[in-house]
Amino acid sequence: MVELETVPPFFADKQELLDEILGRYPEYGRRSAVMPLLREVQHAERYVSEARLAEIGEIVGMHATEVKGVMSFYSEYHGEPVGTYHLQVCSTLSCSLAGSDELYDYLVEKLGIVNGEVDAEGRFSLQKVECLGSCGSGPVIQVNDTYYERVSRSRCDALIEALSRDEVPEPWRARGGDNEGADKADFLMHTVAAGEGETR
Amino acid sequence: MSDVADATTPITSRHDPRYEVVMYRHVGIDGAWTLDYYRGHGGYASARKALTTMTPAQVIDEVKASKLRGRGGAGFPTGVKWSFMPPVDGRQRLLVVNADESEPGSFKDRYIMEDDPHQLIEGIIIGCYAIQATKAFIYIRGEYGLGYRRLVQAVEEARAAGILGKNALGSDVEVDITVHRGAGAYICGEETALMNSLEGLRGNPRLKPPFPAQAGVYGLPTTINNVTTMTSVVHIIERGADWFASMGTEDSKGTKLYQISGTVVRPGVYELPMGATFRELIYDLAGGPKGEAKGFFPGGSSTPPFPWRDEFLDMPMDYGTLANSGSMLGTGGVIVIPKEKDIVDAMYNVVRFYAHESCGKCTPCREGISTWLPKMYQKLLAGLGTREDLDLMEDMVRNTRGTAFCPLADACAMPVQASFKWFRDEYEYLVDHGTPMYTKNDWWEA
Repeated sequence: MVELETVPPFFADKQELLDEILGRYPEYGRRSAVMPLLREVQHAERYVSEARLAEIGEIVGMHATEVKGVMSFYSEYHGEPVGTYHLQVCSTLSCSLAGSDELYDYLVEKLGIVNGEVDAEGRFSLQKVECLGSCGSGPVIQVNDTYYERVSRSRCDALIEALSRDEVPEPWRARGGDNEGADKADFLMHTVAAGEGETR
Repeated sequence: MSDVADATTPITSRHDPRYEVVMYRHVGIDGAWTLDYYRGHGGYASARKALTTMTPAQVIDEVKASKLRGRGGAGFPTGVKWSFMPPVDGRQRLLVVNADESEPGSFKDRYIMEDDPHQLIEGIIIGCYAIQATKAFIYIRGEYGLGYRRLVQAVEEARAAGILGKNALGSDVEVDITVHRGAGAYICGEETALMNSLEGLRGNPRLKPPFPAQAGVYGLPTTINNVTTMTSVVHIIERGADWFASMGTEDSKGTKLYQISGTVVRPGVYELPMGATFRELIYDLAGGPKGEAKGFFPGGSSTPPFPWRDEFLDMPMDYGTLANSGSMLGTGGVIVIPKEKDIVDAMYNVVRFYAHESCGKCTPCREGISTWLPKMYQKLLAGLGTREDLDLMEDMVRNTRGTAFCPLADACAMPVQASFKWFRDEYEYLVDHGTPMYTKNDWWEA
């Protein structure tokens, strides 16, 4: 006999959050909330399961299949769990000219996973993505919701080692423009203060 | 925390005394994203001026007189766009800010949202007042997590301070803002796809007409503007249309945020009067190319690239000149291509981007751009291409142009055509020899 496991609804104990999200849109635009709701689930559970699709559909008045249609359109929602640290490497032209192809290959070697895979411990996953708007400060790795820019080999090593110890380094805010400061700034390895890394 | 940016502040034209930095004056300064900082530096004076001393029609006239053109890429006159809104008829009217910034080579909006979100909010208040909308949405691309958090925080601060709300800035004008976060899709920068995405649909483009002013988000009268169009308005109202129109060229007024990336010494965002030349941007501000360069994209990867020749380097960066040259100003995102990067490889990268981002709605784009064009490039790069393949590819992109539902297919086809026009020798070398003319394959320094 098949044992059915019931999963409690994701938003069951999050009424306040749900009201806040739905309140951003007019009542006639209720389905606009589908993207922020998908993001909440993706952020918390690192993927969006069939059960969550149905739950979100009920909230906004869409069929689960429609929700899946929306979800599958975008590259930031996933149907399978990503790792604790989801590494998204930009591969578009400006980053490529700054070495993103080599950076990607380096990560493949280092982590033993390729585009779309999660490692055995579920710690790292790798995704080759298109332009992240960091063209003046490539190559860039987006770890979950945070950009790490001008990633040199040594910075890449330091980043991966820190994440392996579950330390999330403070991103050095490399920007476009005058980069004289780049040489002076160290890649600070402070753990991000609680809250700052939180996202929705 | 320092108010004055010094030499270590890693951003933009501030180090060049010839140019006043206007829209980027707070960018790169720690803490500039707070309301205290913004108000402490004259913030919201412009919106107050509009709401208390001008009528909506006067605001539109001022923006028309400034000759501001949309900074998202198409360059449509902003004041004219605003005047397309139908007469007030009791329906909800909407302003949508397109902050989906996803054209490769473009990254000007990002730093405004991260470092100076109140400047954008001020522009939105003025824009909403002009078109008599009480509600605005900022559609920010999903990957801009920091920008999203800073915007949400700034909107909350502004609400708490009475800058937004039923009585914005103490007036009887209502303005509220919702920040809507995308989730990774280039096509959502196309305004009709953006509207679908905002409504909770797949981000496929819609047919125009109806234009957004007639039937936009939720079928309501909607105006959609780029982030730096809105921030330009702040300064036009503050300093007057004459100030803005005194800069630039005949058909392109004011300052613009130009971006430069690729192999140059100081990639970044530089605020210049419109009509400055590529040479000025590339050499004077960005410090020139690193190594030898052979070409550049003038305004993002969808704009047909130019070869590295004086006639193109000395071209003024304005809407008309670029359009007449067979390319486009686009978002003003220059990408410098080094000599050592094989053009076939570089263009495959560009094609792969558009192939990935095609929404699949229409056949020319889905089959041509998204399916067969990348396959043809893969064939060439595998050393299996022939001269006939080159003719076929040129034929494909020529016939794709103008046939797709939205501009995405042309955005890919046009630069490919230009690459054949200027760099056909590299394509031919590859098919004749089976190996690329340039073989450098490690671009990761240090």
